[in-house]
Amino acid sequence: MSKIRANLSMQPGKKHRRFGLYTLLFPTSVWLLFFILIPIAMFGVYSFWVVRNETIVREFSFGNYVRFFTNPLYPALLLRSLIIAFGVTIITFVMSYPLALHIFRQSGRLKSLLYMFVLIPLLTSYIVRIYAMRLVLGSNGLINNFLIFIGAIEEPLQVLLFNRFAIFLTLCVTLSPFMVMPIYTSLEKVPRSLIEASRDLGASDLQTFWRVIFPISVPGVVAGSMFIFILSLGDFLTPILVGGTQGMTISKAIQMNFGIAYNWPLGAALSAILLVIALSTILVSNRFGALREI
Amino acid sequence: MKELLRLGKVTKCFGPVVAVDAVDLSIYDGEFLAILGPSGSGKTTILRLIAGFETPDEGRILLEDRDIALTPVNQRPFNTVFQDYALFPNMNVFKNIAYGLMVRGIGRQEIKQRVEEALEMVALSGFGERYPDQLSGGQRQRVALARALILRPKLLLLDEPLGALDLALRKQMQITLKQIQEQVNITFVHVTHDQEEGLTMSDRVAIINEGQIQQLDDPKAVYFYPQNFFTANFMGENNLIKGRVVDLSASGATVETEIGNVAVKFADKQPIAPIKGGDELYVVIRPENILIGDQAGTAGNIYEGIIRRRVFVGSEEKLFVSPVSSPELEIMIKLHALKAGSGYPSGGLDRKEKIRIGWHQDQCWLVSNNS
Repeated sequence: MSKIRANLSMQPGKKHRRFGLYTLLFPTSVWLLFFILIPIAMFGVYSFWVVRNETIVREFSFGNYVRFFTNPLYPALLLRSLIIAFGVTIITFVMSYPLALHIFRQSGRLKSLLYMFVLIPLLTSYIVRIYAMRLVLGSNGLINNFLIFIGAIEEPLQVLLFNRFAIFLTLCVTLSPFMVMPIYTSLEKVPRSLIEASRDLGASDLQTFWRVIFPISVPGVVAGSMFIFILSLGDFLTPILVGGTQGMTISKAIQMNFGIAYNWPLGAALSAILLVIALSTILVSNRFGALREI
Repeated sequence: MKELLRLGKVTKCFGPVVAVDAVDLSIYDGEFLAILGPSGSGKTTILRLIAGFETPDEGRILLEDRDIALTPVNQRPFNTVFQDYALFPNMNVFKNIAYGLMVRGIGRQEIKQRVEEALEMVALSGFGERYPDQLSGGQRQRVALARALILRPKLLLLDEPLGALDLALRKQMQITLKQIQEQVNITFVHVTHDQEEGLTMSDRVAIINEGQIQQLDDPKAVYFYPQNFFTANFMGENNLIKGRVVDLSASGATVETEIGNVAVKFADKQPIAPIKGGDELYVVIRPENILIGDQAGTAGNIYEGIIRRRVFVGSEEKLFVSPVSSPELEIMIKLHALKAGSGYPSGGLDRKEKIRIGWHQDQCWLVSNNS
């Protein structure tokens, strides 16, 4: 019977269907090719060119990559960016997991309402969210005014803004929805009956969490971490807007090379290095099933 | 028999819906009790109240005379086999079964030994390393059973345990479940909407509708002597004819119905106490108890009818007959299926043909109007 069915599926109809599939995929493929793959490939090509007298010369050279590894500035910048990205990932995880768990444990309207509150910031402009952080941290901001109001300080604190701490905090706040979402999604995939079964078999709430709920939500945690890590590594607006003089990161360096420094080949090389790091992060995350959680 | 668990006037509401309505139920040590009812009847809620996933709004749940209505799930000596089995996908079969022992901090050696025993009991030795998604439905079901039984609960609760299996496997698992129950000698409470499943395995059946127990008896009594309209309608395909008692004696009654008077002789199980002259009630006749043609001549209740339909369903044939006196009504008659070519009876049983039907006075009985 199954043999007959297998034969049937090999009838001309199949070829026909495959043709239909390619027809459907064609516009998307063209889109991907022209707007993503080709620009990235052009970047790759750019990164092997050189700049002489403020003009880009199409001359093949590994110079930009050599410069990255021999100039002590860039590896240090990259390391600093990696440390920030790593730290932001850890902190957002610690902040977001309990929140996602809390939303998951609610029911009905309150649940959708809470989840919406997490998502609302994503509907606003990214720059607005960063400026909002300036309003909170600034010398005339929420925190300083509050501390002055309760008499804890007399002069506004200057340590809150325009330093690495501000970058760190702003990234944590603005990116945290990207951590809450996949964790919440993976928690939602834990059937209620599993939690009931665990308690039915005698486990306490804590045992149920560590043995059943958390292991099942790990792919969501990995997916969220991947988002946060890549996004905070590539972010250049936050260092520019709240980082002040300490705000030099690898992404800001890239932005400057494409901007005022007018050294596109070097910028492209730095981008290529970041891209390799980002892609490796995605590959590693995928081993934990992270991409299925998105 | 010793009483293990008693529900006393247990009520549970979900908003305006009364899911369980002042239910009294005793469960005896070592029995296999089926809770049988249509979906939404409150049967699963009763199970969840016993397990502790819900707390009753009113009433008591007594385990050996101790009220456990507010005892948390993880402190009740009961275990549940869930409808979807609820196996932990992140653990292999061994760890799933060992779970209850692990959270109790039992030694590794003992766990290993008891899990091996449990695997053997459900005929899954050697499956310990597999993960739930590598098992068939029937295998998962047996893992869920082993996981619950390994803790030697006082009561095993089964929530539609066979619902997700195909027919052949379901039949096989019915027998397996009963065998295991006898082997471990643990009280089983089994919730199902499938009548056959309820009747096959259990010692007693509780028929539930609208949050109330309609009838609680052994399977044969429930099947052959339903006590009210709901049970009679729910158990098998009974003919129910509405009527009014016009004559009542200790040994029988005469009921006036739209097909004419029906004489009923009370069997042992027939409760005559609640019936009064003039009561509105239903006469129940099992389709297999109706005689046709010449055979009907000897019966106490005889009616003329017209054949509406004849349906072949394998082992039997169903004949739908409308009495001449009330063409709106259809009475179903079950006959043993006839081999092709052999007429039954000689006159044939074609559509629109006239036929005489009848049944003996002790082959029908009365059920109350209220459900």
